[in-house]
Amino acid sequence: MARDDIHVGLEIGTTKVCAVVAECREDGDVRLLGVGEAPSRGVRKGEIVDLENACNCVREALSDAEEKSDVEIKSVWLAVTGSHIQSFNNRGSVVIPDDGGEITEEEIQEVEYKAKEISLPKENAILHSIIQHYYVDGQEGVLNPVGMLGSRLEADFHIIHGVTNRIQNSIRCVKECHIEVEDVVVNSLASAQVVLGRHQKESGALVIDIGGGVTDYIVYLDGAVRHSGVLAVGGDHITNDISIGLRIPITRAEKLKIEEGSAILGKSLPGENIVLKNDTGFSGKEVEREMLNMIIHARLQELFALLRKRLAGEVPEHLLGSGVMITGGCSCIRGIREVAESVFEMPVHLTRAQAVSGPTSAFENPQFSTCIGLAKYAQAVRSEMPEESLIGGIFKKFTGIFGLKS
Amino acid sequence: MITYPRYLDRSQSPVVRLIGLGNAGVNLADRISMNQGMDLETVVLNSDQQSLSSSVSGTKISLGPLTTRGLGAGGDPEIGLDAARESQADIEAAVAGADIIFLCAGLGGGTASGAAGMVAEAAKKAGALLIAIVTSPFGFEGRRRTAQAAAALQEIAAHADAVVHFENDRMAELAAPRSGVSETFAACDELLGGCIEAITRLVSAPGPLGVGLPDLLSVLDGGDGLCLFGTGTAAGDNRAHEALEDAMASPLLDRGRLLAGAASVLVHISGPPSLSFAEVGAVMQEVARGAAEESLLQLGISTVPAKDAPLIVSIIAKCGAAKSAPAVRQPATKPQPPKPKSEPVVEQKEPLLTPEAPDETPAAAATKPSPAPERTVSPVARPRPTQSESKAAASPKIKQETLQFEPVARGRFEKIEPTIVEGEDLDVPTFLRLTGKKR
Repeated sequence: MARDDIHVGLEIGTTKVCAVVAECREDGDVRLLGVGEAPSRGVRKGEIVDLENACNCVREALSDAEEKSDVEIKSVWLAVTGSHIQSFNNRGSVVIPDDGGEITEEEIQEVEYKAKEISLPKENAILHSIIQHYYVDGQEGVLNPVGMLGSRLEADFHIIHGVTNRIQNSIRCVKECHIEVEDVVVNSLASAQVVLGRHQKESGALVIDIGGGVTDYIVYLDGAVRHSGVLAVGGDHITNDISIGLRIPITRAEKLKIEEGSAILGKSLPGENIVLKNDTGFSGKEVEREMLNMIIHARLQELFALLRKRLAGEVPEHLLGSGVMITGGCSCIRGIREVAESVFEMPVHLTRAQAVSGPTSAFENPQFSTCIGLAKYAQAVRSEMPEESLIGGIFKKFTGIFGLKS
Repeated sequence: MITYPRYLDRSQSPVVRLIGLGNAGVNLADRISMNQGMDLETVVLNSDQQSLSSSVSGTKISLGPLTTRGLGAGGDPEIGLDAARESQADIEAAVAGADIIFLCAGLGGGTASGAAGMVAEAAKKAGALLIAIVTSPFGFEGRRRTAQAAAALQEIAAHADAVVHFENDRMAELAAPRSGVSETFAACDELLGGCIEAITRLVSAPGPLGVGLPDLLSVLDGGDGLCLFGTGTAAGDNRAHEALEDAMASPLLDRGRLLAGAASVLVHISGPPSLSFAEVGAVMQEVARGAAEESLLQLGISTVPAKDAPLIVSIIAKCGAAKSAPAVRQPATKPQPPKPKSEPVVEQKEPLLTPEAPDETPAAAATKPSPAPERTVSPVARPRPTQSESKAAASPKIKQETLQFEPVARGRFEKIEPTIVEGEDLDVPTFLRLTGKKR
């Protein structure tokens, strides 16, 4: 039984593959046992473009995690992302058979089924359907209608779907290493599990996870997922911009971004230059600091502006009481908070995994938010916590689907 | 009878006099009297007749017409001193009757280095508050000049109530590295002019929390006379913060770092009637954080009736004698000479003369040597101008020239599925698309 409480989260990221082994206690406590990581190859914008290379990386990361945690990994919870992942809100409704009767589990499952009866593109499959609110006879704000009396049950669901084959590729990659996939979880949903506390989910928050290849975002409002999505722009784009703008190799650009880059304009002295060390064989070159910062600033500014535009029609911004949380590797860029604040015009926080214990170096690193989130998500699904209880059921179906195909 | 210095009498507005001494001093005095509409009397003193004749100042005094025959001191402080002795009566007349005297001089040459001590002494004897605003020579002007400047500084400090000491080497920070020579000098003069303006504003502007000369004196009094200064101007929502930041950015404050060594700090905030208490509080808190715990903080607030007036924060700080190390910013090449008068210069002459001989041209009489800067601005500028010239100046907006790309550059994303949002290919660097749009 004790073994059952250990969950492994695996994220095949654009920059790195990382696996987190965590022990989940019944009281909701999550303790990290070990974190394995390997630099990623064959992944672009969060999706696998070279299966063989990616497999090797996954193997490397998993064996690293096994070594560090002293746990044999048999199955993982897999994070998926990519520009193909989309979401929408839909309402389903059922009529309670004998008028004024009691609402049972059966009706609840039926209403979810109805909500998912929508026309998706043929190649797409639903990844998550997350309950937002129930309505009993038009009465709003019902959290758990089981046992209530009513004649009509309606429910709003947030539905996240993606292209089956592309998700299948990630699963395939893990299965090549003879590891089972318990379930797939969208990046943003996983990150939100550890970045947001219950209170923040209630008061409303936007979580932006800016990784290497993609930016995942999710909005919580009144304790439920209101909106989510993926934008295929990430840290790689910044590196690429720098590489093109300053005419330096990608590897050098990456280093420059991490060591010197900042998104704040006007803080450097006019004409202040950065001398590039002559390490990779090309001669010492100077780049203007303001230019570097301008490139980073322009990209981040655009990214946030796009996100805000996407949210504009979907989410009433003034209801996001807890503001914006930024996590993921890119949240380490200096000045990112200021840029985000100027675009969103609301408080922005840089966060990482909260409410977990274990080696601090792991959960203090915003790069691991998603991975740690997976473990927490797994625990939530397994222990059938009220807010996530419905998702668990659907998952079983979907693992079924994926299982058949691969 | 009880006597008290004239400048403590606040019944009438003080007579402020600006004395420019030597070539650099004359230039500075001219620039200030031309630029700012300040209520200043300007007097210029120089041994070089040529520089005097081109000056716009009201009163011109030729130092030592017999000693130098109006040709300047030729970079020799001894001649400068002789010239000053000859014209002692003129100097005394020049300083008489003023309440505040700003003595501007570029140290290191002949006239200013030689005569500054005497002028300072005379000014002090005349009962004025003496604030010396001096520059020390560029590092590349040689150690001999640096030594002369250091000795002269000692002499001035012995008499002056306060010394605002500015290293020419720091001018690089005021102007963009590749900007013109005259622009760079102008930026320097502007800072020094701002300093004079701030001090006059501080003692004359009315306000809810006025600062008079006595307050200024209590900050500037004592110690070794070295003074730190910064002023910043801003308007708009975040003006308090921006103005303070601007003030802290002054090279004289070394970006606020030197405040830590200050024994007393005077902060003067001038603003429109909308100046709020919270803004004052914010500024003071920031300054207090930067300053040493035991330092004395003085606050002055004045308001001007104009609604759209900007908020101006001026910081004047005085280094404690004990903590003078960070403030006495002698160029690193030369340790500060021991105590008094002109002997150290003589002592140092012998070993220094031989290696530093090229410095000895008569043309070098001016403290800011006119031929030198053109060749030498680049060594002053910290970043070396090795890169393409098109990248040039300070403004980040002049960027397009360096980036001659094919219209679409996707770099490492060349072969994979593009990210197209609202018709834009997000894989193409944002700044490229932005500059494209502007065109």
